[in-house]
Amino acid sequence: MKENVASATVFTLLLFLNTCLLNGQLPPGKPEIFKCRSPNKETFTCWWKPGTDGGLPTNYSLTYHREGETLMHECPDYITGGPNSCHFGKQYTSMWRTYIMMVNATNQMGSSFSDELYVDVTYIVQPDPPLELAVEVKQPEDRKPYLWIKWSPPTLIDLKTGWFTLLYEIRLKPEKAAEWEIHFAGQQTEFKILSLHPGQKYLVQVRCKPDHGYWSAWSPATFIQIPSDFTMNDTTVWISVAVLSAVICLIIVWAVALKGYSMVTCIFPPVPGPKIKGFDAHLLEKGKSEELLSALGCQDFPPTSDYEDLLVEYLEVDDSEDQHLMSVHSKEHPSQGMKPTYLDPDTDSGRGSCDSPSLLSEKCEEPQTNPSTFYDPEVIEKPENPETTHTWDPQCISMEGKIPYFHAGGSKCSTWPLPQPSQHNPRSSYHNITDVCELAVGPAGAPATLLDEAGKDALKSSQTIKSGEEGKATQQREVESFHSETDQDTPWLLPQEKTPFGSAKPLDYVEIHKVNKDGALSLLPKQRENSGQPKKPGTPENNKEYAKVSGVMDNNILVLVSDPHAKNMACFEESAKEGPPSLEQNQAEKALANFPATPSKCRLQLGGLDYLDPACFTHSFH
Amino acid sequence: MNIKGSPWKAGSLLLLLVSNLLLCQSVAPLPICPGGAARCQVTLRDLFDRAVVLSHYIHNLSSEMFSEFDKRYTHGRGFITKAINSCHTSSLATPEDKEQAQQINQKDFLSLIVSILRSWNEPLYHLVTEVRGMQEAPEAILSKAVEIEEQTKRLLEGMELIVSQVHPETKENEIYPVWSGLSSLQMADEESRLSAYYNLLHCLRRDSHKIDNYLKLLKCRIIHNNNC
Repeated sequence: MKENVASATVFTLLLFLNTCLLNGQLPPGKPEIFKCRSPNKETFTCWWKPGTDGGLPTNYSLTYHREGETLMHECPDYITGGPNSCHFGKQYTSMWRTYIMMVNATNQMGSSFSDELYVDVTYIVQPDPPLELAVEVKQPEDRKPYLWIKWSPPTLIDLKTGWFTLLYEIRLKPEKAAEWEIHFAGQQTEFKILSLHPGQKYLVQVRCKPDHGYWSAWSPATFIQIPSDFTMNDTTVWISVAVLSAVICLIIVWAVALKGYSMVTCIFPPVPGPKIKGFDAHLLEKGKSEELLSALGCQDFPPTSDYEDLLVEYLEVDDSEDQHLMSVHSKEHPSQGMKPTYLDPDTDSGRGSCDSPSLLSEKCEEPQTNPSTFYDPEVIEKPENPETTHTWDPQCISMEGKIPYFHAGGSKCSTWPLPQPSQHNPRSSYHNITDVCELAVGPAGAPATLLDEAGKDALKSSQTIKSGEEGKATQQREVESFHSETDQDTPWLLPQEKTPFGSAKPLDYVEIHKVNKDGALSLLPKQRENSGQPKKPGTPENNKEYAKVSGVMDNNILVLVSDPHAKNMACFEESAKEGPPSLEQNQAEKALANFPATPSKCRLQLGGLDYLDPACFTHSFH
Repeated sequence: MNIKGSPWKAGSLLLLLVSNLLLCQSVAPLPICPGGAARCQVTLRDLFDRAVVLSHYIHNLSSEMFSEFDKRYTHGRGFITKAINSCHTSSLATPEDKEQAQQINQKDFLSLIVSILRSWNEPLYHLVTEVRGMQEAPEAILSKAVEIEEQTKRLLEGMELIVSQVHPETKENEIYPVWSGLSSLQMADEESRLSAYYNLLHCLRRDSHKIDNYLKLLKCRIIHNNNC
């Protein structure tokens, strides 16, 4: 009996199993809740994955209970979330509380339960993507265009009360680019993109996330076409501009290369420098004084042994009845007729050197004694010591002959002040002295204008000449130098008019009594044999000063007359004495500067005539 | 003369004293304005902004700390099951959804936040001490714990300032939930000890999130009038 029951049971079971297997029905497999999400911290949804259904319709149920409660609940909403989901509405959702839930799958054959899932809504927050993404290209005036992106937060999220806080992020890329450009936008719902590639089509997307939670999915892409405007896409224009500029530059360079110098001189005309007629700077650099001076019209510099002859040639004092200015001859004077010799028809006033008095001093000699022997050593010395520009030799004895005695005053010493270059064409210094002599003997008291320009020019030229050993040559030339009036205010009469000389006076031979340190010439009547005091002017009482220029002869001979007014001698002496200190200066510029200090002294008033003190004039070149 | 000069001296001294007192009064710190004054709103806004920044930061740190701890010690071992109902602050009646939060009044809300913060002073202190005393103290967790303790103190100070501005008449309420998990942290059984740490960090993460959310709610309510 027992055996029958057992076997019957086994047989039934096996039959049942066979039937089941033939049908293919099994209890459902174990489901699994795989995801729970809350989009707004007010509701949440969970989804499960069903197991095998066993071939039979299977019911799923989700049951849960919450932390701190014991009561089991079932899912309130299986539909909203879609199939195999459970949606928890607002009244079922609690924050900061753990939900323990599981899904039960049931079919005819059986049921199965999933594992328990512990869920806290706090940590499953993931919002939906933002909505209404709007992209616009804005082009303000005078500025580059930019992209203006706007969006709205997803629905059902409460931002106003602060329950929910959203943070946004956008990304964009040109349509064919590989990488996205991502920008974090914080809590704002608009954004500007400034760096754009013109002419391209852009994709823009946005997403959001809660303050603590998961990022949403990217919103659907919005396409935007960036216009390719001229200012942004003018590459070709810039290239053409660059090419054009390069071509223009090449043309300019070529033109400059071809005609460089002439163009430069056209643009920057050379500043005209002082011109000395016949002065060749190259010759100066070479150091060939002879050539240079010959170019200038000077002759025989450094002075040769027969400089005396030159000096002689330079000045002649005529003894004739005619009232002419006599030039001074050192030697030939007593014996020879006067013939004014011209140094050079060169009109260059630059030859005029204020050193002519010094020249005179060097060469000053007494015809009676042996002027050549006296002077020669000194003169010879001078070339050896060219640096000593101080050529005034107080030991110079007076020259025999008639040497006009001039007192120069002021700084504007010029050897050959040209009173009016336009009117008189001074072709030689000789002429100049003639002119000045005329001025000097003009109407008594009538001031004459000595052109400063002439003086300046002469001074300048003489200075430039002085730069080298040519100073000696100039000294030679400037025997007849006279000095312009420092005081420019005192005009000198232009030598237009040849004022008749004063009363005709008998002409005397005058010999140069001495040339003192100041370079002043003291003249003596020829019959007086006075060896002269080399050291100092000496007592001039005995000397009858032929300090007055009575006229100029046709042959450019200065006519000097003695001045009965000897009271001015003291004046002369003082001025002469004051001359020497300035002689110490070796620079013409300094000497020039001193001139204004001694204008009044250099200038003597001798019978209403202004005299120029050659001494003052000479100082400029020492 | 000394005798004649003394009344003058005394008078000048008195004058100086009085003037100094008056001047001192003028440089006294500005009084805390009563809640609702327009001038205070600006200061309150700054206080709230600062508090929100701190609470946000504290929660980030707590979240990271918990993740690192779980990943390293307890992952997949079901410690979460034992963490149910383990927080010492669960006795506080804190709102759990938006509606409840909107129903609670402003003053209670603030007091609640302050209580939660106060209740965490001691657990945080012990957390730091215990983690530091571990044999292989995890540096990342320790540094975060130290930072959280520091910032929580600052947040508490800020909250007390806010309360004094918004509700100056509030009496100092020292009642807060007490944490008694220290012994659990020091248990010899590793499983129990780990469980204790897990629970502590789990609760810290939750409560820091709570405080952050509450402050953001209050900020929008008080400063922006529910129009954030």
